[in-house]
Amino acid sequence: MESILKAVGLKKYYGSGETRVRALDGVDLEIEQGTFTAVIGTSGSGKSTLLNMLGGLDVPTEGSVQIAGTKLGNLSREQATVFRRKQIGFVFQNYNLIPVLTVWENIVFPLSLDRQKPDREFVENVVKLLGLKDKLDSLPGQLSGGQQQRAAIARALASKPAIVLADEPTGNLDSKTSDDVVGLLKRTSREFHQTIVMITHNPEIAQMADRIVRIEDGRIVDNCVSYKSRL
Amino acid sequence: MDIVRIRNLKKYFGSGEHRVKALDGLSLSIEKGRFTVIVGASGSGKTTLLNTIGGLYRPTAGEILVDGVNLAELSEDQLTVFRRRRVGFVFQDYRLIPELTVRENILFPLALDDARVDEVFFGKLAGCLGLGGKLDAFPYRLSGGEQQCAAIARALITRPAIVLADEPTGSLDVKTGQNVMGLLKMTVEVFHQTLLVITHDLELAQMAESVVRLRDGKTEVQKCDLCVPGV
Amino acid sequence: MEDMLRVLTRRSFRAGKARNLMAVLAIALTAVLFTAITAIVMGALESFTLTMQMQKMSRSDGEIRYMTREQFEELRQSDFAKEVGLRIPVGFLTNGRRHNVEFDVEDEIQAKLTFCMPVYGSVPLRANEVVASDLALRDLGVEPKVGAEVTVAFTAHGREYVLPMVVSGWYEALNGQMSVMWAGTAFRDAYPEIFCYTFPEDHDMTGTYFSDFTVGSKGHLEERLRELVFDLGGDPDDANAPDYMQAVVNTATNVRPSPFQAGAVVFFGLLFMACGYLLIFNVFDIAVMREIRRFGLYRTIGMSRRQVRGLMNRQALWLSLLGIPMGLVIGFFAGRAALPLMMSMVATEYQNIAADVSPSPLLFLIAGTLTGMTVFASTRRPVRIAANIPPMEAFCYVERGGGRRATRKSALGADIRRLAWSNLGRNRRRTAFIMLSLMLCVVLLNCAGTASDSLDVEKETAFMIRTDFAVVNVVSTSNTKGFFRHTDALRPETIEEIAARPGVTGGSGIYKNTAEDADVTYDFGHSLTGETFVNDDSGLTFGFDEIYNSYGLGNDGRFICNVYGMEEVALARMDLREGERDAHALYEKMSKGEGVLVGVPVDRRDMSLNPIMDLVEVGERIQVYKDGVPVLDLPVLAKAALSSDDEEIGYTANGVNEVGGDGLFLYFPSRVFEELYDDPAVYKYSFDVEEGYEEEMTEFLEDYMEETDPDINYLSARAARESSEGTQKMIRFVGGFVGLIFGLAGVLNLINTIVTSILTRRHEFATMESVGMTRGQLTKMIVYEGVFYAAGACLLGLILAAVLNLTLVKRMVDSMWQFTFRFTLTPALGACGVLLLVAAVVPAAALGCFHKGSIVEQLRMAE
Repeated sequence: MESILKAVGLKKYYGSGETRVRALDGVDLEIEQGTFTAVIGTSGSGKSTLLNMLGGLDVPTEGSVQIAGTKLGNLSREQATVFRRKQIGFVFQNYNLIPVLTVWENIVFPLSLDRQKPDREFVENVVKLLGLKDKLDSLPGQLSGGQQQRAAIARALASKPAIVLADEPTGNLDSKTSDDVVGLLKRTSREFHQTIVMITHNPEIAQMADRIVRIEDGRIVDNCVSYKSRL
Repeated sequence: MDIVRIRNLKKYFGSGEHRVKALDGLSLSIEKGRFTVIVGASGSGKTTLLNTIGGLYRPTAGEILVDGVNLAELSEDQLTVFRRRRVGFVFQDYRLIPELTVRENILFPLALDDARVDEVFFGKLAGCLGLGGKLDAFPYRLSGGEQQCAAIARALITRPAIVLADEPTGSLDVKTGQNVMGLLKMTVEVFHQTLLVITHDLELAQMAESVVRLRDGKTEVQKCDLCVPGV
Repeated sequence: MEDMLRVLTRRSFRAGKARNLMAVLAIALTAVLFTAITAIVMGALESFTLTMQMQKMSRSDGEIRYMTREQFEELRQSDFAKEVGLRIPVGFLTNGRRHNVEFDVEDEIQAKLTFCMPVYGSVPLRANEVVASDLALRDLGVEPKVGAEVTVAFTAHGREYVLPMVVSGWYEALNGQMSVMWAGTAFRDAYPEIFCYTFPEDHDMTGTYFSDFTVGSKGHLEERLRELVFDLGGDPDDANAPDYMQAVVNTATNVRPSPFQAGAVVFFGLLFMACGYLLIFNVFDIAVMREIRRFGLYRTIGMSRRQVRGLMNRQALWLSLLGIPMGLVIGFFAGRAALPLMMSMVATEYQNIAADVSPSPLLFLIAGTLTGMTVFASTRRPVRIAANIPPMEAFCYVERGGGRRATRKSALGADIRRLAWSNLGRNRRRTAFIMLSLMLCVVLLNCAGTASDSLDVEKETAFMIRTDFAVVNVVSTSNTKGFFRHTDALRPETIEEIAARPGVTGGSGIYKNTAEDADVTYDFGHSLTGETFVNDDSGLTFGFDEIYNSYGLGNDGRFICNVYGMEEVALARMDLREGERDAHALYEKMSKGEGVLVGVPVDRRDMSLNPIMDLVEVGERIQVYKDGVPVLDLPVLAKAALSSDDEEIGYTANGVNEVGGDGLFLYFPSRVFEELYDDPAVYKYSFDVEEGYEEEMTEFLEDYMEETDPDINYLSARAARESSEGTQKMIRFVGGFVGLIFGLAGVLNLINTIVTSILTRRHEFATMESVGMTRGQLTKMIVYEGVFYAAGACLLGLILAAVLNLTLVKRMVDSMWQFTFRFTLTPALGACGVLLLVAAVVPAAALGCFHKGSIVEQLRMAE
């Protein structure tokens, strides 16, 4: 299989001199098209920094990230933004829905920034799969955490991005809802052949992914097929 | 003797369809002078429990006695005084007051009470936490670990009945986290304090004398004198 | 340890520089408003009072007359009055010519209270020393100089005195008609026979004691004064009683503002309070919201609600201590600058207006207190929020969108404009406040603009004066006197000298009958009720008709009327409405004794003949009597609509009221008037000047008044126009000032809200950027937000301005004849343009300033 994402020698240092923090300290990573990968590590291990680098939200001190054949380092800030909205879908721990827009508007927001008509059939499929059909006219403040996160996932998928990056998507949810949400992520990955990278500190949740990448103190210490998918 | 006694504690947020049961019939007791860790997945109700013990939330139902005080019976102002005199808080993000020096931050709870400063105790506490040379500095000049030590000193200065720490190492790298946790543990031992800590970090949890494991707002396991919490 | 809280207050105060700047500006702006309006009100009151006092020649609180020496001493000893002046009238001098000189014995207190303290020289001490005004001394043929010798002649108790006196000091007379010459008590002691007390027998006031006094407290002054008179053993009511003691409150000092004036002050006070409230509330509300986590932390670690309130209140106090004095000073100077403009509106009607305001402590106290009250009121809610926020909620405090609505029909896409629009709804109160203050700015500016545009300068000027210049005796321009005596006639030399000036055209002296012309009367078939009263000033008897119009009556009991005589040029300027409309033909006929022109005052609102005053029809006959004998029988040839200039000059009408009252206004050719009246008095000299001579003529008249004839005064078309334009300017200035302040308040609110919005929504913005919103799109969105605020305000403002224009402003304007309503939205549109521009620039600039760095940094900062 071809790799949709390729990170080479990624380093990210904060501060300088004595107080320098090595958030990422030489990370090499390849993600295959259509897979569901979990990145696991403790707080401060550098997993969020890694995700920010992969999504082009932050600039690495050293190394490069290539998504769907485009080197992020070569893009200007404006180009990076446009690239993000076309090629990367984000799911955040605190959902980050825009409070003044309805669920439907939130989902199609990145598309309308591009003055694109959404692929209605596709988006409606996503909405159906995520069980949001009767919530489309609701405002985010009226939804439960799990529903909000599902709306956020729909938003990430709507533009058929090359890759979806999910940063602790279950961080604010109880265990049952967490299982539901990750289960849905996994289904969308299967059904729409969507590449997903998810960050979590919860080993149980991580086990639902195809692959698990373990990161510690800014380095990848383990990269293996998950226990569940081995079964 | 139990410093905290909780019976059938319930704490709900929101109402109607969107009601979230953060704590749902939780019972627990914590012995004086012990170092207890609360573990559990995100959304299991750890923080809600800690905040309820600290008098920051009012329980929806159930009984909660801290240091012999029935929190449900206190008025808003009495709760404030209760927090000020009997509870020491340590937060993941330190929450020092930026305009006050380290010394002033530590002494602040006493100032609110117009209480006399026990200089000997203050000196010992600061020494114990390695803050001797930093007392006149403002928080922003300190490293994360040092800031957290100052926050710990602030929590202990009133000799509270219980110290509550919510992910005290969450913002620190692994090594610093271990140091801070060590200092915290040592300090409460030296001053015979009761300590209740929330953490994700299983290694840190191993330092505790007893472990409470929460799941979906209920106590799943409470084990004493444990060195390795069950997975 | 308590001082730790103070340390914290002080340091967090210093840390919040931007917030402090906003707050101090807001408070200062409020203080400016209050100080300016207080200064204007107090200054106007002060100036008005002083002007009235100068006209009344006393700044006392009241006066008691006809006391004995013992009663006066008793008054002096009593604790009723604060200052008690001594005045023993001797009588009017008999050796003066035109200027009336009253000769009194006075003390210094009395002299101070009645504006006759010597400005040059000193008070009279020796028996032969006097103080007098410059005009009095000149009239007596002496140059005003300390040490000058002056002869005074007067009659007291039937005996004539001619005494040589020495001028110990002199002052400048307040008016040309009358002033006081006074001697000290040594004079009384030297001539006891002059001052014998005979009042109970012959009511001779010489020898009685008068006193102008001031009091400490002014409550119930009238009743207390009456009581005092009884206590002294006097009778305040019966003027014929032997123990009559007159006691009056000085209404010039004790002015009561009219309900309208009081209402206007309260209205503006409330308006400014609202403006200050909108501004200060927003600043504090935003400050608290921005720091809500800090308050959550304080509460978490055990700060009580009272302590949080104390901390906030102390900061509000410090901000007030910085902002209020600043505003007081600026406001004082703004108010003082505005005052003359305000006063210029009344300047044509009151002479010698003294427009100034002193920086009195009371002014600053009032303005400071009002500002303090506004600060207090507007900080209550933010302080309460800060103190009462549940500690944990503070950490997840967000301004939620959508309000109470759970769902909304989704749009097909989510375009940036819609997003910006939705964002306005996040904090309804704040949005409403911003729109309100911006809207008020638009509305107020437009109302002021409409009012000033509607002021019909030409109409008002034309009504005040028909010619380029008009010269009269100075009494005619006084609001309390008026022309009704032969002695107030213009001197023929004055008219000749003016007429001889280059450029003078169309000059005409205007004759007017006076109180002394009671021998010539008219009968025009109008019946009276028989009820009469005697006018104190002119001494004429007046009768009433059924609708209580009053008519001056002549010696034979017939109407004396207001009768004018003029040259043809002057008559040609009149507005002939009915009958013979050709001025030349009319003048010819009247000259031949074939009839008379009747003038009818107009209803100023539509300039139509006032039906109440329209007593005769064209063709009806009027009989003229002299000494009770009919001499003429004249038909009414024509009727003219009268302007103020046809009756008197400017807006004055006092002389008319003293003579003919509401009786007919009759106009004759000069020659006819001269034949009819024995000693015709020229009231006015009206004339035009050729182009380019206005300047020169003005200079000449000013000079002439100063050097040759201090008794004259004049009005020019230019001065009338300037006075009218002054009113216009004043409306523009006040309206513009208030509108500008509201605009400033609105813009400050807008800046504050936008900046806060950017800071508190960092996380949201970072989210939007991470899902693909470009920087340009973000800027566009925030600019839309700003523009929506302004556009909303402008739209509402334009609608409200138009509605108010057509209702309130129109009605107000229509009720004042000087105005001709002109609908305009230009000021509102101008204000809208500026506001929209500002509202577009501010957000873009703020985003550039406060939203920097990478998305991750933004996300981190937000957390």
